[in-house]
Amino acid sequence: MKTISKITIGLAAAALLIVGCGEATSATPAKEAKIAPTISEESLGLRKTDLYQEVDTAAAKTEYVNADPGTSQKFKRAFQDAPPMIPHSTEGMLPIKIGANQCVGCHMPDAASSVGATPIPVSHFTNFRPQHKFDGKKFEKSIDNYKNEVSIKETSHLQGARFNCSQCHAPQSQGNLAVENTFEAAYIAPDGAERSRWSGEAFTDELDTIKGSAAKVTAEDIKNADSPAGVSPWTHH
Amino acid sequence: MSLSRREFLKSSAAASAAAAIGMSVPSELEAAANTAEGGWRWDKAACRFCGTGCGIMMATKNGKIVAVKGDPAAPVNRGLNCIKGYFNAKIMYGADRLTQPLLRVDANGNFDKKGKFAPVSWKRAFDEMEVHIKKALKESGPEGVGVFASGQYTVMEGYAAQKMMKAGFRSNAIDPNARHCMASAVVGFYQTFGVDEPSGCYDDIELTDTVVAWGSNMAEMHPILWSRVTDRKLSDPERVKVVSIQTYTHRTSDLADIEIIFSPNTDMAIWNYLAREIVYNHPEAIDWDFLKKHIVFAAGPVNIGYGMRRAGEKSLKEGKYSAKEMETINKEMSKVVSEKEAPALAPYGYKAGDTMKHTAGTLGHWEISFEEYKKSLEPYTLDYVAKISKGNPDESIESFKEKLQALADLYVEKNRKVVSFWTMGMNQHTRGTWTNTLSYNVHFMLNKQARPGSGAFSLTGQPSACGTAREVGTFTHRLPADMMVKNPKHRKIAEKKWMIPEGTLNGVGKQHIMKIHRDIEDGLIKFAWVNVCNPYQDSASATHWIKAAREMDNFIVTSDGYPGISAKVSDLILPSAMIYEKWGAYGNAERRTQHWRQQVLPVGDSMSDTWQWVELSKRFTVKDLWGAYAPSGPRKKALPSVIDKAKAMGYDEDTTMYEILFANKIAKAYKLDQNDPIQAGYDNSEGYGDSRNVVGSDGKVFKGYGFFIQKYLWEEYASFTRGHGHDLAPFNIYHKVRGLKWPVVDGKETGWRFNAKYDPYAAKATNNGETGEFAFYGTLAKALQSGTLTGKDKTSKKKGLPNKAKIFARPYMDPPEMPDAEYDTWLCTGRVLEHWHSGTMTMRVPELYRAVPEALCYMHPQDAKDKGLKQGGLCWVESRRGRVKARVETRGRNRPARGLVFVPWFDEKVFINKVCLDATCPMSKQTDYKKCAVKIYKA
Repeated sequence: MKTISKITIGLAAAALLIVGCGEATSATPAKEAKIAPTISEESLGLRKTDLYQEVDTAAAKTEYVNADPGTSQKFKRAFQDAPPMIPHSTEGMLPIKIGANQCVGCHMPDAASSVGATPIPVSHFTNFRPQHKFDGKKFEKSIDNYKNEVSIKETSHLQGARFNCSQCHAPQSQGNLAVENTFEAAYIAPDGAERSRWSGEAFTDELDTIKGSAAKVTAEDIKNADSPAGVSPWTHH
Repeated sequence: MSLSRREFLKSSAAASAAAAIGMSVPSELEAAANTAEGGWRWDKAACRFCGTGCGIMMATKNGKIVAVKGDPAAPVNRGLNCIKGYFNAKIMYGADRLTQPLLRVDANGNFDKKGKFAPVSWKRAFDEMEVHIKKALKESGPEGVGVFASGQYTVMEGYAAQKMMKAGFRSNAIDPNARHCMASAVVGFYQTFGVDEPSGCYDDIELTDTVVAWGSNMAEMHPILWSRVTDRKLSDPERVKVVSIQTYTHRTSDLADIEIIFSPNTDMAIWNYLAREIVYNHPEAIDWDFLKKHIVFAAGPVNIGYGMRRAGEKSLKEGKYSAKEMETINKEMSKVVSEKEAPALAPYGYKAGDTMKHTAGTLGHWEISFEEYKKSLEPYTLDYVAKISKGNPDESIESFKEKLQALADLYVEKNRKVVSFWTMGMNQHTRGTWTNTLSYNVHFMLNKQARPGSGAFSLTGQPSACGTAREVGTFTHRLPADMMVKNPKHRKIAEKKWMIPEGTLNGVGKQHIMKIHRDIEDGLIKFAWVNVCNPYQDSASATHWIKAAREMDNFIVTSDGYPGISAKVSDLILPSAMIYEKWGAYGNAERRTQHWRQQVLPVGDSMSDTWQWVELSKRFTVKDLWGAYAPSGPRKKALPSVIDKAKAMGYDEDTTMYEILFANKIAKAYKLDQNDPIQAGYDNSEGYGDSRNVVGSDGKVFKGYGFFIQKYLWEEYASFTRGHGHDLAPFNIYHKVRGLKWPVVDGKETGWRFNAKYDPYAAKATNNGETGEFAFYGTLAKALQSGTLTGKDKTSKKKGLPNKAKIFARPYMDPPEMPDAEYDTWLCTGRVLEHWHSGTMTMRVPELYRAVPEALCYMHPQDAKDKGLKQGGLCWVESRRGRVKARVETRGRNRPARGLVFVPWFDEKVFINKVCLDATCPMSKQTDYKKCAVKIYKA
């Protein structure tokens, strides 16, 4: 079999690249040392019982915290500015409806400190959505998404987009996890596990993900002249 | 914004150093290069989960993800995510990540289907795949090699997979889980517009006065879109109306002004009621000028069955289906017209008690007159529709009728903008294609389609069901960018671009995802590979497919991040790099394409699906794959050998598919370059290899392909879209912006398709709006014969319909299985907010697991009482196909009326797809997971 030609990136590493695959295509799989059938199907995954019948299988039971609001230990935020989970019973508080959002009763900032509730942070009072213009005839954007422009206005009222609290905040069942998770929490702020720091200038921190002058979309980018694979096959038909 | 000069200098200096000394592992430099915020590096990415397509900002530190926040610059979600979106941070860190290939072996280390798993090398894994693929090709031809593909593939992975399958193996037996989620929407688009994907965009939400959610729990399934709806509603609660049309009460109804609970499948009757109201009672609301210019009326056959197995199929003949199962399956061949559907079928020539003989679903249709269409609507009086549609036995018929009238009034109101959203309720439906087309009828007649703030808008379910599955064409019948395998011109265009011989591509694409399962059970498919999905948990009639995988002579491979049910029942398990461990791109439900860079190195020895496909391609040569094949399965003609033609092109018999399809001269023009601001400082495990020194498919340390393979795959795929109504922007631009809505022409994205003010293709077709406001320029099925509701006039001539869309006459019909004396309850399945699909990722995130650790059986308290069940107690949910246990929930977020239960499918321990029926829309082949008949009793 022919050897694949080397790829020319001008680096020493190129010499170590894959060079063909002739020796890999033998008809019978080669045996390797110490291959032993040690892992059972049942040991894998979340369901450890027989997959082929259901008599011995039941789901893990939900055991939410029963404590009344204000009486239980708060959960740490999972990471910096992660939405906090609900440490108390939500019985009788859901569903959330227009004119009937019981969460805000205790969690609005002016009420929260007196009842020991986590106050709703500044981000929830901030409108991030630009108001584009439409006069009934022609739609025009109010900001330029080619420049990654943002529209951020702090307001005094809870934003409608954040009205559905249960979209991000959930009660937590006790007991064992199905599988552990090895994520390691890290916090920028010393009190990052307790409160949100996402406000003011932090809203726009690090949004320039391509650095410097290269961040701009240029006419050259649009032209895409150095992309031989990208040439439309349709223009020739 | 806040990038400091010092930081910029530091990172660019590090990048230059890397290039100069030939170091190929940017992550090693990262800690030293980036000192901002204690070594945190933030970058943009797309959310892993639903079709909304939110942007996230993701922080990494020391090669691990440490945080996620909403991206204020992302137009979709503007600084907000849902609970799953935030916890993208943790999805790759479940303790049982797959880290090495696992093969079932005997005590001697030989493959043994009945054996336990043993860790093996990548080389051994590919050795086994090669052997079993060659065996399958020999026994069944290309049709014997199948792939369960995905709407969660990155664009590049999907493109690599379908290229190797279609160009390499010449097999069209690749079909995605998106078949289960979007196929009815797709066929609806093709039938109505002649081209796939929506007219509108998410800006419709802020611009509309009315949001109608049809069979869609947007509040949980598209939470960020729902937050936009909520914001709109709260901004003007009097003017803005929200209507929730569902088969059971859920969170979406909590915001609604009107909630309509309908009996499963009768959404079709309600859509036809709305059309009838317009045509018979509000003819002044019809925009005749629009209809005359832009619309034709059409009809097709109604006796098309339910997409189940048909008489004569091998597994039916062999008795693999029980007598109980056959009670339902027999309706695939014929059925007796019921009293309930008879009035709707009368204009088509059927009456109650008639036997309707079914022929398998056809996409064929013909033009009819408006008078014929009007005739088809005649039966849908308020009385008839209310009688068959009312879904809550405890609601009065008067109350239900009032709501239907109020709904009609909202649609008809002259200056009221209306968006109709739907998801799985209308798609997972044995008449899903019909129901999708019915939605456009109403919007078209009112001229409320493809306009800012108005339109019928299909919401996609998966993060790249649009971007990868549909647009790339990882469906059995498709090629990239709306091309079809059965169209010889399209095959020719693809063959030329792919630099493969003319005649290589197989023109028969009929092995959709349920057919792949059935072909495995029938013994046709001998090798199947699961990519980025979980078909052994997510397919209805699951017991059959699991049995076929475990007990028949075949070889099943699953690539995944975690061991889900598909992995467990496989013969070989491959560890896949997960989303932020690779470069990628997704396309969302508003045609927005979004790219991200590799954030961290993969866990263990896992590698991306792109890498797995490209490595597999090294094992197959021209001689291995491009010879002649006898007819097989759905392909009734031989496939010719193209080896001689390949030689004429400069290949030889031993040239590998790797050299032809992936590492060709053009591919190598895409350079790895740490001075490129897009690449600088970022890993590329496929391009460079990485510091893990994974031992690859040849038994040697993998040192990378040496070129920017992801960019190559992107650009080659995008080439098919450019100049073809579907234009995607250049790779680099997507790394500079937060996604763009295609078609992107001259660098500009498109908000409203088919509308000459916004869509350059429509502008061109209408001479910049001079000849009309709209052009429905899709090209599929745009020449029709004519006929009536009862059939086609075979002597009629085909008439072209350029730039026109269609309004279809389509009747209400019963689903194949409905509650009866024994199985007295409807079963509906679906998702919950906190879990994604089969829970493979989200059940491993502690906060999401603890939020919803189990799948509950949501039911009405009176039903529970009548069946002797207690809140929190276990019950059996049993159908003709199987049974599972679940806990009874009568007070939860989902609140069915009497007669229906809802059981989500994410929980491996509540394996509800053993209970569900694999009936599909016979046109789209999408499974109806939303309705079958069960009995519920104490466990």
